[in-house]
Amino acid sequence: MTDAASLSAPEAARRSLVGWLLVLSLPLLMAVMELSVYAVEPRVLSLRNIVNVLDQASYAFVFASAQMMVILTRGFDLSLGTSVSTVSVASALAMTGLVAAGAPDALVVAAGLIAGLGVGALVGLFNGGFVAGLGINPFVVTLGSLNICLGLSTTISGGGPVFNVPDVFSRLFYNGKLMPGVSIPIMIAVLIGLGLYFLLNHTTFGRSLYIIGNNPRAARVAGLPSRRYLMFAYLACSLLAAFGGLMLTARTGSGEPNLGGSLMLESIAAAVIGGVSLQGGVGGVGAVVFGALFVTMLSNSMDLLEVGGYVQQILLGCVIIIAIFLDRLRQTRA
Amino acid sequence: MTFADPVQAGVSRAAQAARDSGPLLRLTGVSKRFPGVLALSHVDFDLRRGEVHVLFGENGAGKSTLINIIAGTYPPDEGEFVYQGETIGRLTPHTARELGISPVFQEFSLVPELTVEQNLFLGRELTRAGVLDRAAMRAKAREVIDLLGFDLTPGRKVRDLSRAHQQMVEIAKAFLADVRLLILDEPTASLTEAEAGKLFDLVSKLKAKGVGIIYVSHRMREIKQIADRITVLRDGRKITTVEAADVSENDLVELMTGRKIDVLFPHIEARPGEKLLEVEGLTLVNRTVTDVSFYARAGEITGVAGLVGCGKSELVRAVYGLELIESGEVRLGGEIVAHPSPAGLLKRGLCYFPSDRVAEGLALGRPVRENASMTALDLPAFARAGILRRGGERRAVQSIADRLKLRPPHIERAVANFSGGNRQKVLLARGLTRDINVYLFDEPTVGIDVGAKTEVYALMKDILATGAAIVLVSSELPEVLHLSHRVYVMHRSRIVAELTGADINEQEALPHFFREHDAEPGR
Repeated sequence: MTDAASLSAPEAARRSLVGWLLVLSLPLLMAVMELSVYAVEPRVLSLRNIVNVLDQASYAFVFASAQMMVILTRGFDLSLGTSVSTVSVASALAMTGLVAAGAPDALVVAAGLIAGLGVGALVGLFNGGFVAGLGINPFVVTLGSLNICLGLSTTISGGGPVFNVPDVFSRLFYNGKLMPGVSIPIMIAVLIGLGLYFLLNHTTFGRSLYIIGNNPRAARVAGLPSRRYLMFAYLACSLLAAFGGLMLTARTGSGEPNLGGSLMLESIAAAVIGGVSLQGGVGGVGAVVFGALFVTMLSNSMDLLEVGGYVQQILLGCVIIIAIFLDRLRQTRA
Repeated sequence: MTFADPVQAGVSRAAQAARDSGPLLRLTGVSKRFPGVLALSHVDFDLRRGEVHVLFGENGAGKSTLINIIAGTYPPDEGEFVYQGETIGRLTPHTARELGISPVFQEFSLVPELTVEQNLFLGRELTRAGVLDRAAMRAKAREVIDLLGFDLTPGRKVRDLSRAHQQMVEIAKAFLADVRLLILDEPTASLTEAEAGKLFDLVSKLKAKGVGIIYVSHRMREIKQIADRITVLRDGRKITTVEAADVSENDLVELMTGRKIDVLFPHIEARPGEKLLEVEGLTLVNRTVTDVSFYARAGEITGVAGLVGCGKSELVRAVYGLELIESGEVRLGGEIVAHPSPAGLLKRGLCYFPSDRVAEGLALGRPVRENASMTALDLPAFARAGILRRGGERRAVQSIADRLKLRPPHIERAVANFSGGNRQKVLLARGLTRDINVYLFDEPTVGIDVGAKTEVYALMKDILATGAAIVLVSSELPEVLHLSHRVYVMHRSRIVAELTGADINEQEALPHFFREHDAEPGR
């Protein structure tokens, strides 16, 4: 019998299989990737490399989390990379200045934090002000602030790195020993993850972000303070990014005017690959964890296989496009 | 065999004849499963040439699934699909159209940024030597629109059209091709009586030409008017197929719901109290409402009737702060509302239920719980100091869902997985999560079935008994006339009449719908 039933039953099975594959695709893909690299380069699964990947992924997680805050509202932040550079330079300048003046450690660290998070807050207010307050497209607004931050970081640093970030800062946010076996970046990432989970799932702000992203008009009709929350989302994004910038500054030990180079694309890639939908209202901390791990594993594998940095850029570009395509599939099928 | 075998030829002639005399479409034992739901279970259905076959059933009964299968939107999981005597294996929307199956769905498939004409020809543009033949398309579009008698301008962008006019474009699209099987899914939901009348004329013409028409509707009057046969679905199963002439309205409602419904419109006692909402000389920036004054009293349903586009919807939207006000005054409980905004009005006890549930009522991707509580997140029962009280929220929403008889009663499911009537209940749940004493209903029963309608009416009755004021805006005249205790009629942005007591009837109301000129306010 060639009736509709005999033709459509396997067809239906195939579809639900596609649905399952989409859910499991990321963990599967990561396993396949690690195992195939292992065949060529066994070091990939050494304890040392795994610890290294987790360390790296912590940074990726912080930036992707920042990006998620605005992607949830159907926006994104193109200025994330260059604002991180500005944060790095500004905090390094504040700290080295105070060190030269002979200030105590606590004051130096506080000044670094204030300068870095201050820059983050300004960028967030700028982006949020234009997007939420004036209703301008986030693409345009953050493209503008991308350029502004690029100019700022090179101007105030004089174009080169700001050296001699005090060791105390690096110990605090990078290589200090607090708990055996767990590095500071990982601890920070876990804390941020827990905090964000609470924020997104247990506060009216988090709840509203999902509703605004899912249907902005319905949010307005329901009387949610959409503009204020949109503003907060951009502020939270830039503050998180700034904090990530401080962590990177602690690691390099210097203020770098081009620190944020590829961060913008990487952060969007990690969030989207993890399952934060660019169409808004879908995603969460778990998604960002997986996305950050994937992006980090990918670049780690390519490093081990000695793929050149520029080729890696090409691959990352391709990966983000595939991720967005998969996001579409997920939204329509699953 | 390549040569003409006389016996073979005879057989094929017989087959041809059988094809022409048999039903146009025959579905046998069709089932369709969605994650967690059996949407259709072994349904048989047939459609003859030249008949109007009405599909009747509650929201979620499987009507949409059935017409989507016929239109090729998705394949059935099992069952046989025979069209014009041939078994069809795999049908896509595209091949369905090529076979002459033209669906007109409730959800529009129009591109807002394109013109009426561009939408009509989308994907099947007329060309001459590879270049778009605009003149030919304009002429053909004109022809179809004139045939339908619709008031449409081919050059206008769909974005600028009212919902009623968008519906007309959607219908016109179906008539552009050579139609053999026409599917109409609640086509009159946003048409005026006159426009609906023209559509019915056209349906009769198509019938005479042998086109088979599947017609989905909840409106008894039009079913009586045009149906030849009626198939009743309930919970994904076919209950029966009957000749339209053999059944009464009550029979149909009983078949559909499986229970007896004596009167559709409940008798609601009016106990007019003080004026809770007063509007004085309201004019909107876009002039869809001009110099309107009205009031709504506690314990009374205040109806606002009028044609689609007369400004009645904009009137209540403006009260809720969704339209820009140029002049005039809104008073709530005697106090002036200086700058109406949804959040501010909710706090003061006024709630608006939008007519377009998908576009601005609900966040479809989010669960029922979040949709029901989103207007109440400022209350201590739902959140304190910005931190949600999820347990309390869950209990509150679950009890409201039970009270409204949400089906299925799963408040963690995304609203997108519920039928129209149940989506409406989710929306209405918002009015029960906080203290509201003025309810603005904008087309509360558009696109929902009779069962859900009676539940919405029962809710109104309950609400009224608590001493609240209800403003009911509706394009469905029987609804607004039967339920309201006072009715305002709007015409071209103004209130032109106020009907009270025994004057609330069609004879009194209808003349005001069709005034020829911008009459002076009727009071």
